Amino acid sequence: MARKFAYYPGCVAEFSSKELNSTTKALAPLLDIDLQEMPAATCCGAGDVAEAKPNLYLTLNVRILSQAEEMGCDIMTICNVCTLNLRRANKLVREDPRLLEAVNEELVKAGARPYEGTREVTHLLWYIATEEGLSLLERQGPKGLSGLRVAPYYGCQLLRPSSVMGFEDPDQPQSLERLIVALGGEVADYEAKSKCCGFPILLARENTALKESHVALSQARDAGAECMVTPCPLCHLAMDAYQRKAEAVNGETYNMPVLHLPQLIGLALGLDNKIMDFKRHMVPVDQVLSVVGA
Amino acid sequence: MPQTTFDVFRYQPDTSDDAYRQTYELEHGEDLTLLDAILRLQNEQDGTLAVRYSCRSAICGSCTCRADGKTVLACMTQVEDLKDQNGGQPVRVDPIGNFKPIKDLVVDLEPFWSKFRSVKPYLIADDAPPERERIVSKEAMQKIYNESKCILCAACYSECNSLAADSEFVGPAAFAWGFRFAADERDTQRSQRAKLYSGEHGIWDCTRCMYCNERCPKGVDPRDAIEKLGGIAFQEGLGMKDAGARHAKAFLYSLRHGGKLNETLLVPLTQPLKAPFDLPFAVKMISKGKAPSPLPHKIRRLDEVKTIMKNVKETI
Ligand code: SF4
Ligand code: SF4
Ligand code: FES
Repeated sequence: MARKFAYYPGCVAEFSSKELNSTTKALAPLLDIDLQEMPAATCCGAGDVAEAKPNLYLTLNVRILSQAEEMGCDIMTICNVCTLNLRRANKLVREDPRLLEAVNEELVKAGARPYEGTREVTHLLWYIATEEGLSLLERQGPKGLSGLRVAPYYGCQLLRPSSVMGFEDPDQPQSLERLIVALGGEVADYEAKSKCCGFPILLARENTALKESHVALSQARDAGAECMVTPCPLCHLAMDAYQRKAEAVNGETYNMPVLHLPQLIGLALGLDNKIMDFKRHMVPVDQVLSVVGA
Repeated sequence: MPQTTFDVFRYQPDTSDDAYRQTYELEHGEDLTLLDAILRLQNEQDGTLAVRYSCRSAICGSCTCRADGKTVLACMTQVEDLKDQNGGQPVRVDPIGNFKPIKDLVVDLEPFWSKFRSVKPYLIADDAPPERERIVSKEAMQKIYNESKCILCAACYSECNSLAADSEFVGPAAFAWGFRFAADERDTQRSQRAKLYSGEHGIWDCTRCMYCNERCPKGVDPRDAIEKLGGIAFQEGLGMKDAGARHAKAFLYSLRHGGKLNETLLVPLTQPLKAPFDLPFAVKMISKGKAPSPLPHKIRRLDEVKTIMKNVKETI
């Protein structure tokens, strides 16, 4: 039977990167996942709310956790930043019963359900990059990636701080690599795969941010990658939507198509291109599609 | 007896401008720290090998270097653990990142110290002195306990992604100290400090790569200190002063009005003066559907969120 999750796509996947949301939803049944909507969930605050009003950040995120508890599901995310924000709030209140009590008091005062601390938060990548997840993929008889050279790009917040995230060694992550190989692709390895894309300061400090994304983009290019794959829509915006700007600021050419994680899986499973909606990308992915014959 | 190969970064500016690598072999007992290994190499094989150290017990913060690419205190790291992690490969030893090497593993820390000094890392209490000592409650001390543990080892600077992109970024440890004093109830400079730390290359320049939290050997969590300094800046009324703060403000606005982020408002709210000049880029974003409707994205039970936003008090 399909495993039920409270689905928390995050704001970016719901609005500006809709292609990530539509692909995830289309993929879910193939991966034995039943994604339940969370219509009353807020934004996680993306680290910005935590930076302005830490107690507010905590209360809002615990409210989301409590909604999942009410649904009887763990939460599944498709964004690094949402994952960190929800997991961090979860860890804070689980380790400190007095803090949980104080947060619950605010929730109850606002007419929201208090949280009992029983839910987990997992990212789609963590679900799929396990032995069990990979065997689910195999059962779909993937048509594969035809040796496409893919640069895994993790970004920061799915790996660090490892005391909150903890799925894999933040300095030697292997989940994306395992997935790429299982799908019939080739890994283009490079050092900067877990460096920052610059997104959090992209609007406030554009030049600094674009120098940050340059590091991973240029290394992936030099490693001969035909595309990059990322588990995070914010990394995707920085790497894809702002790639031409990064080229201008750094005086370089990358021409690096960037895929959302579920799009890479979708390509290997032969998902309809219309659902994956590559037209919404800034850097064209035509070359990638022709390699995998999609 | 275990035998280990060390693959060490060498830089000897007296004899050559170019850095190179050198391998050393060492036989040793089961328990050997990386620092002791380096000191044995220095004593027994190569007196020119330079390393900075003092306490040998993870207190002075001098021996910071990279082992297999990861920044550590050499005196706190067991060679056998490194080999367990790297599958028995030679252990790679390098100076920390983001600073200029002076000689071998020794780097020029002057920029680190000048940034540290720039945050005024000392108590400023310009109110009239009390008759006896200033007593601080346990709760008040608890708030700055983490940051008080910093030993100024600079491990947090080594992989700081904002620093790599902007050499003037003040950086994690300095801000951990900044918070340590801004939030000290005896200090009278809270709002001046918030202003001092908010400028260009300041707290809003942190890209949240989380390397500092990951690398700190003392559990200081400097990124969390920067975050709390953001909160203090908001409390001190600086919420509209910096583009970074306005970026955060846009999230609060979105939450209050719909519950979800209004991405299209982020740009003009963060950069009201610059945004209009970035029209070609905006047009491209719109054509790709990357500028969703600027109307609020309303969740169910938004009233709960509004009440929470009204009630929740900040306690930094
Ligand atoms: S914050 Fe941690 S890593 Fe940074 S200097 Fe202080 S002790 Fe070292
Ligand atoms: S989180 Fe901020 S201060 Fe810490 S290492 Fe990253 S950019 Fe530097
Ligand atoms: S020698 Fe003092 S911290 Fe290592």
